[in-house]
Amino acid sequence: MAPVLPVVLPLQPRIRLAQGLWLLSWLLALAGGLTLLCSGHLLAQLWHLGTFLAPSCPFPALPQTALAAGAMALGTGLGGAGASQASLDAARYPPWRGVLSPLLVAGTAAGGGLLALALGLTLVLPASLHQGLEEGLEAALAHYKDTEVPGHCQAKRLMDELQLRFHCCGRHGYKDWFGVQWVSNRYLDPSDQDVVDRIQSNVEGLYLIDGVPFSCCNPHSPRPCLQNQLSDPYAHPLFDPRQPNLNLWAQGCHEVLLGHLQGLAGTLGSTLAVTFLLQALVLVGLRYLQTALEGLEGVIDGEGETQGYLFPGGLRDILKTAWLQGGTAHKPAPEEAPPEEEPPKEDLPEA
Amino acid sequence: MALLKVKFDQKKRVKLAQGLWLMNWLSVLAGIVLFSLGLFLKIELRKRSEVMNNSESHFVPNSLIGVGVLSCVLNSLAGKICYDALDPAKYAKWKPWLKPYLAVCILFNVILFLVALCCFLLRGSLESTLASGLRNGMKYYRDTDTPGRCFMKKTIDMLQIEFRCCGNNGFRDWFEIQWISNRYLDFSAKEVKDRIKSNVDGRYLVDGVPFSCCNPNSPRPCIQYQLTNNSAHYSYDHQTEELNLWMQGCRASLLSYYSGLMNFMGVVTLLVWLFEVSITAGLRYLHTALESVSNPEDPECESEGWLLEKSVPETWKAFVESFKKLGKSNQVEVEGADAGQAPEAG
Repeated sequence: MAPVLPVVLPLQPRIRLAQGLWLLSWLLALAGGLTLLCSGHLLAQLWHLGTFLAPSCPFPALPQTALAAGAMALGTGLGGAGASQASLDAARYPPWRGVLSPLLVAGTAAGGGLLALALGLTLVLPASLHQGLEEGLEAALAHYKDTEVPGHCQAKRLMDELQLRFHCCGRHGYKDWFGVQWVSNRYLDPSDQDVVDRIQSNVEGLYLIDGVPFSCCNPHSPRPCLQNQLSDPYAHPLFDPRQPNLNLWAQGCHEVLLGHLQGLAGTLGSTLAVTFLLQALVLVGLRYLQTALEGLEGVIDGEGETQGYLFPGGLRDILKTAWLQGGTAHKPAPEEAPPEEEPPKEDLPEA
Repeated sequence: MALLKVKFDQKKRVKLAQGLWLMNWLSVLAGIVLFSLGLFLKIELRKRSEVMNNSESHFVPNSLIGVGVLSCVLNSLAGKICYDALDPAKYAKWKPWLKPYLAVCILFNVILFLVALCCFLLRGSLESTLASGLRNGMKYYRDTDTPGRCFMKKTIDMLQIEFRCCGNNGFRDWFEIQWISNRYLDFSAKEVKDRIKSNVDGRYLVDGVPFSCCNPNSPRPCIQYQLTNNSAHYSYDHQTEELNLWMQGCRASLLSYYSGLMNFMGVVTLLVWLFEVSITAGLRYLHTALESVSNPEDPECESEGWLLEKSVPETWKAFVESFKKLGKSNQVEVEGADAGQAPEAG
């Protein structure tokens, strides 16, 4: 069987390979650690903003997958560093021999698979954020007044803190507050004619006002904040209609949160791409090192040349070997001699 | 009788030198930590210098920065000395410098201890600076058109939101100043005219606060105006209402923040001081152990190390004697000159 992509490795290139691999492995461990940190940060942000993201939104799956992928990359990096350092020393290599094969399989299958999955999710999931935030913010605005309803009593505080921290107002603008009742019924005077009028003026019996909560106020405004009667241009003296944006925050919380989370997802995606590249390089290098050292049969300091390869035979050969070992009656092609390492008893079922 | 004598054989000396080398490099890291702590405190003080009248004292962060840099320099030098101590040839060139170097180390330790004390004690000056700074800040809140003060409103609002506080000592401080600019007052309205006429200085005073005093934890939308008028708001009692606005004054908030920071830095500095004292003691032992090697040709021989050659009172007496001798040597010369003159005259 012809080995796939063979490379002849005398002693010096073998040492160079091991040293380069050691460096790459530590870089991979660093990249894996960075991915862990990035995904941890994104998870923490999602936990804080949990009320504003609809529960049906699949976005949190991205940082969770990235966390697992980062941990695997870190493990692969550390294992690779240990193996490449041991391969330079004949006395320390034997225990690593048994570890390398499972490490390579786990690294390729689990690690590579997770990384590819995480990269795929980075490309697909941020689009679902838009809908998730829409629904989440709509619910948050509706429950703003429910400070005494169990399960929603924190909604007001969280919404105020969101608007204060992210410098935004409402979902897409301050006018969203005109469409919801954000004053709790408990603090409405039923004997006040204005209150009664407002409640009777709409079908659902909601107390709607053209005002916004205090957290929409913009500290950069030169005048004290105008929160009430915002639709009436004559209600406030010297209100400059050319500068309405300075009074309240101009951006809606939807855009701000979307930009913030998508930015974090983008950063996570780039660290994942770098980790994927480094992991591929490290795994390929480790495979070459392993097969080259197998060829030396224990004398790894020897001056001899060996061949490193990716697979002992082509894909067809591997499949054929697996087919033959399965015991099905199959005439081997005349030009291909049965491989030497096949144990002789395998010939008996054919004969 | 020497103070705290310890016997050293070759192996112990080598171990001491190696241990000291490692401790010195750890101490360089500690010096870097002190430097960054000082820098952080300086940046934090600068960030809020507007509410401190730009007159806050930067003594603590500057001294932390200086001490951090000194520690890095002195300890890397000590590390080099300890590394060379194991090689008699290299050590010979350091020998004459060690005694003055140890004196510098002891002085540095004293300075470090004083800096640690300063971190804990210099809080009082910050309090008075904050009080006057905040009072001025609130006074200039409405001057959003005056160049040089136009950002005071934004600064105070962001401060009250971030530190969850209102006013200097409490929200009532806002009742005593005019925080709404004249530019946004309608002077044709009767209410405005009444308020301006009601006080001597002609200021528009309201029993209201800016929006940044509002507490998001309140279950009802924030009440900012007519705070002392119970009938202006449904189901409102200003005597018992605690969740509507932030209750703490900004002076107390800022003071506790900076005190916490400085206490933390004081604790870290004290720990670094203890570490440095142990390094100085170890260096002294190494010095005396290498000095008292009786046979320079035989590196394997035993030697003794000590902190002070004689006990503490004897050392102090010797120190004082050497001072007196300095004075007496001048006197002896004078007497000798007189005695020389007297026989000549006599």
